[in-house]
Amino acid sequence: MKKFTIILLLVSFLMIIPVTVSAQQSGGELIIAVPASQEPGTMDGHIDPYQNTWLFNSFSADPLLILSPSGEYLPCLAESWEMAEDGFSWIFHLRNDVFFQDGTPFNAEALQKNFERVKAPETASVQMADELGPIAGYETPDEYTFIVKYDSPWPALLDGLRRLPIWSPTAFEKYGLADFEKHLIGTGPFIYKGAVAGDHISYERWEDYGGWNPIHDHEGPAYLEKVTIRYIGEQLVLGNMVDSGEAHIAQDIPATSCEDYENNEDATLLTGYQAGTGLQWVFNTLKAPLNQVEVRQALLYATDQDDINESVFDGRYLTQKGPLNKVHPCYWDGVEEMYPYDLDKANELLETAGWVYDGGAFRVAKGVEGVEDGTVLTFVFSALGEERARIGEILQLQWAPIGVDLKVEVIAGPIQIEKVQNKDFDLMYERQRTPDPRVLDMVWNSKNDYPGGWAWSGLKIPELDEALNKIAENSVLEERCAYAKAAQEIIMQNVGMLPTVSAPNFYAVSNSVHNFQLGSEGNWWFLNNTWIEE
Amino acid sequence: MRNYILKRLGQMIPVLILVSIIIFFVMRLLPGDPISLMLAGAEGGAISAERRAELAESMGLNDPLIVQYFDWITSALRGDLGESIRMRESVSKLIGEFFASTFELSLVGLFFSLSIGLSTGIIAALKKDSWFDFLSMGLAYVGISMPIFWLGLVLILAFSFEVKWFPSAGGEGLRSLVLPGLTLGLSSAGLISRLTRSSLIEILNEDYIRTARSKGLKEQAVVMGHAMKNAMIPVVTMVGLQFGGMMAGAVVTETVFSRPGLGKVLVNGVLWMDYPLVQGIILFLAVVYMSTNLLVDISYCFIDPRIRYS
Repeated sequence: MKKFTIILLLVSFLMIIPVTVSAQQSGGELIIAVPASQEPGTMDGHIDPYQNTWLFNSFSADPLLILSPSGEYLPCLAESWEMAEDGFSWIFHLRNDVFFQDGTPFNAEALQKNFERVKAPETASVQMADELGPIAGYETPDEYTFIVKYDSPWPALLDGLRRLPIWSPTAFEKYGLADFEKHLIGTGPFIYKGAVAGDHISYERWEDYGGWNPIHDHEGPAYLEKVTIRYIGEQLVLGNMVDSGEAHIAQDIPATSCEDYENNEDATLLTGYQAGTGLQWVFNTLKAPLNQVEVRQALLYATDQDDINESVFDGRYLTQKGPLNKVHPCYWDGVEEMYPYDLDKANELLETAGWVYDGGAFRVAKGVEGVEDGTVLTFVFSALGEERARIGEILQLQWAPIGVDLKVEVIAGPIQIEKVQNKDFDLMYERQRTPDPRVLDMVWNSKNDYPGGWAWSGLKIPELDEALNKIAENSVLEERCAYAKAAQEIIMQNVGMLPTVSAPNFYAVSNSVHNFQLGSEGNWWFLNNTWIEE
Repeated sequence: MRNYILKRLGQMIPVLILVSIIIFFVMRLLPGDPISLMLAGAEGGAISAERRAELAESMGLNDPLIVQYFDWITSALRGDLGESIRMRESVSKLIGEFFASTFELSLVGLFFSLSIGLSTGIIAALKKDSWFDFLSMGLAYVGISMPIFWLGLVLILAFSFEVKWFPSAGGEGLRSLVLPGLTLGLSSAGLISRLTRSSLIEILNEDYIRTARSKGLKEQAVVMGHAMKNAMIPVVTMVGLQFGGMMAGAVVTETVFSRPGLGKVLVNGVLWMDYPLVQGIILFLAVVYMSTNLLVDISYCFIDPRIRYS
């Protein structure tokens, strides 16, 4: 009888374990607070050009491939892919077991319709149409093989495809362009239930989800029953949302709120990093005295990025010394030693360039070409927002000992665009974010120095443009990174910009949330395996 | 009265035309363009010059300004305010969606404003020079001069994060209206309180009030039945202006409390250079403001039967 009782208890125990785990992992509504400034214009990622739109789309629409948390492209709706040897086409081998939330099968025809929708002029896709590149045509040799043909090699396609939501063609044809954003239907783990503009977005679990995303680590649907994204307009409120229990997760909380979550029993602080240019100030190299490379070099020698980080961001940001931040896969570490903090060297360079002291606190021009003698060495530091302007205030202090009079101005986005287009600036804030090395091409290739382009410095260096063109043409990451590193060296030799720090994404996460997975980009996350502890 | 209303409605037309011209051209005078601004916040926001030109064409940004204006105004006369560049949605539809939320908030704000402002104003007038008078009028000054965003944040810290009675953000449910409504209502409560007090004190010194009292009427009947009606005329004017102002200016409250609303969309529209959205909302708000004023003028007839419009 005793033996029987023990066996019975053991069996019961074994039966209880999976039931308990399953009960813990299933259900619940996850509330995520995000800054209101990140609200998509339209929820359709074929149209909108924002990372958050594509992120929110990814809950209801799996892409062809994903960028894994470790930074690799992994197959999702495509089982595999390759670029043709001549570089003029991409071939995708698709999964044959996928269907959309409305029952429409996923196949090459459905994928082609998605591509065609993005490229259609009436869609007026702001960015994704360009990300897909100069498409010359499509081929579908069989139901699950899809070929995209190009007029010229387009290696950057994968970076666009990891974000491109694949929608049900039945749904977007049924609802039309204007209404489809209210009926987004894809193959993802959650069904889009709608959005209240300026307030929130809602999702519900899709019970028939087939786990096609490689991040999905279990059989069956996602654990969460509901997901609600709430927009918060005030930073102070956002920073307190998790602490007050109004949200499980708060994305992009201000650096000043981080301390509250570091030694918090109920919540954790997560930090995500995003590859890109970091917070850089582009020099206007066409305007005196910044047209003198010695002056630009002197400013870099007189800049202490660690001090900026400590003074403004409590040391929570990443310091940066070059055109790409340290988390970028093509980051070149040679930048670290190029311009060490050295006031003597900075003073020496300014003297060489013809900027001398005449008894005042700031240096003045003496025999500088294109500058009237006696002109004070003054620059305007243009920043978007008060927080960025504080970097300028620290620089004012750092550059005063070398006789530079720095003025800080806070400008709005439209003014920034206007100033850049008129080349009416000294140091202009610019930040671009993507792990693709073509970000360098975008910001530094002189061919992108047109009204509306993103190359602002005025630098025109043939060898730099050549290296950047090769990044854009090449498909092998190692080779692209080699060109990117060469480009970084040239940019730093010619001092196209002032690097400062790189802003991470800070998340406050309630300890009741499990398996909230950050992507390799700090502002991307996965909810496939997330669950809330009751 | 009918003729008066028709005449006032007719007077709105040139004002609206003027508003439409000013807002249309002022928006175009602002630096920047919608496509650059859209891409400035985008991830790796690079597009080719050709693509940019295509987008400008599809958004109707390449036509001469005068053509763009007449296209817009003729569509607006048909009730079509165009499509938001950023939100890709009909502007009329967006106004409908967001105005409901702003109107709701303004009503709650007005409720707090009237209930606090009228009651303190009346008591202060009746107890002139008492401690209540000094205290309430002092607080009224504080209410008027307090920055709305600061007051909102203080209320959130106290009632959302500390005692957790009301949500700090969002636009769903009655509880979400309490703190933003109070924030919006408190500053205008100060104005209404002061105006009610001074207006009532003045009326209470009138001969007809003295007559009413000498006839043996109870003080409550004198105040509520005789004095208040006349004291209310300047207060109603102020309430009308305040209500119009609340609807047009709820943006700070909407931002602090993360509520959807017309004011917030309008500010975003300006930052995004979303021409059709800004033009449509300004035009709509002009109509709302003028209509509110018309309603206020009409209400005078009901408050004081001696007032007649012809």
